[in-house]
Amino acid sequence: MDVEVIKTYLPLYNEAILLTVRLGWFGILAAFGIGLLGSVIQYFRIPVLRKIAAVYIEVFRNTPLLVQLFFIYFALPKIGIKISAESCGILGLGLIGGAYMTETLRSGLESIDKIQHESALSLGMTKRQVFFYIILPQAFSVSIPGIVANLIFLLKETSVFSTISLMDLMFTSKDLIGMYAKTIECLFLLVIYYLIMLLPVSVLGTIIERRARYAQFGD
Amino acid sequence: MKKNLIGRIAGVLAGTAVIAASITGCGSSADGETANAATVTAQGTEAASTAAETESSEATASDSSKVYRTLDEIKESGTINIGVFSDKSPFGYVDENGNYAGYDVYFAERIGKDLGVDINYVSTEAANRIEYLQTGKVDIILANFTVTDERAQEVDFALPYMNVALGVISPADKVIKNLEDVSADDQIIVISGTTAETYLEKNYPDIKLQKYDAYAEAKTALENGNAAGWANDNTEVIAFSIENEGFTVGIPSLGDADTIAPAVTKGNESLLNWLNDEIKTLGEEKFFHADYEETLLDTYGADYEDTLVVEGGKVE
Repeated sequence: MDVEVIKTYLPLYNEAILLTVRLGWFGILAAFGIGLLGSVIQYFRIPVLRKIAAVYIEVFRNTPLLVQLFFIYFALPKIGIKISAESCGILGLGLIGGAYMTETLRSGLESIDKIQHESALSLGMTKRQVFFYIILPQAFSVSIPGIVANLIFLLKETSVFSTISLMDLMFTSKDLIGMYAKTIECLFLLVIYYLIMLLPVSVLGTIIERRARYAQFGD
Repeated sequence: MKKNLIGRIAGVLAGTAVIAASITGCGSSADGETANAATVTAQGTEAASTAAETESSEATASDSSKVYRTLDEIKESGTINIGVFSDKSPFGYVDENGNYAGYDVYFAERIGKDLGVDINYVSTEAANRIEYLQTGKVDIILANFTVTDERAQEVDFALPYMNVALGVISPADKVIKNLEDVSADDQIIVISGTTAETYLEKNYPDIKLQKYDAYAEAKTALENGNAAGWANDNTEVIAFSIENEGFTVGIPSLGDADTIAPAVTKGNESLLNWLNDEIKTLGEEKFFHADYEETLLDTYGADYEDTLVVEGGKVE
């Protein structure tokens, strides 16, 4: 291992991790938004929309992100829809993440006993109040382990971005290895940078989970 | 609870340390043979001689840790692993029947025949050709591998069998005739790990590059108009302009004229010598001209035959 080589590569890796985190952040936001919407549709069994959501979930959960990115980036321009590589990455993450988030949040919502719903209604709360003050907070805290797992999954999935020419951590490493053949240094940096990115998410997830659980059950 | 979390973090950090240590450790042992070569890439030819010295002294000492297979070992096993492209028509690609075909593959078939062994084709990408040799996953790389000083420090090249230079292709309505004309907003497509990429990074650091893993993706991106042009081996861009209307090779020749040669793992002398002899012998029967006529004629026509083909390893 050559420390000098590592030093010269650091700026490139910093750029790559920033790109990954930036796209990951927007992608996760989109995924969370879609997931919330989708799970509410599923929970309230809204006609028509429910069918659409079901098809969406099956399509995006059962195709790899790589295939989705290929489709969005290479196929859509053929029919006149052109999206920049970065937006394409965000869109891809948002769509696949949305499908997973929908299922995670739905399982959370459905885990809350119907009797709570009925009790709250009998106390004179409106349906809206019941959902936002009683059901959703509890469902959220139940879903947190699943949500954190999804976040980590999405950030790791960014490693297929190379196919649409985004210089993420994985592609930066492969590219440098291809040009200068400093394999050990590049792979070492790659592992370290993924850990730098994902460990905080994991730790933060544990903390949030504990707080949410505390709200629900006490210590 | 708090203690628990701290314990977990400590555990993860310890795990990281183990990974780091193992990578470093593996680096120092596996690097033995190539360490000198690898650390001095930037200094060019001067370094090559020192690297060669280390190489020869190491070769005797660490014979048991070699990753490559000698000529005899290959013959004994009955199969040779050859790394080729699967998406670089007409040099190395998979045809409509699912078989490998192309200029490189035609040569590979002959190697298999003359060695009397079966061929196991391994599909490679531009960026992992050196890796495949260094880890012994293939015995020979026959994937349009351009000879450069940097690469020659990592692998051993046999005699050349083709000429090549760089070229730039662009849409016919907005042809790039000179790389100085590329504006700051425009991007040029390159394929990761190719000589075009290294050349542009070195000589035109201001041009923004749009990098792809594979030929198929780069071509689709060019067709979709994702960039102002595509820089690659001129053989490749000329072929693309012939097959696709609306694209012109504005810069047919860029940088130095290079050659393309088979490569073997550094230090694999028995295989290297055999390959060199083979290429010389094949020169007598004008094998590579036959190869051209079989695989490249449809794409390039007869005009390029003498420019592209190198016979018997002798560049004119």
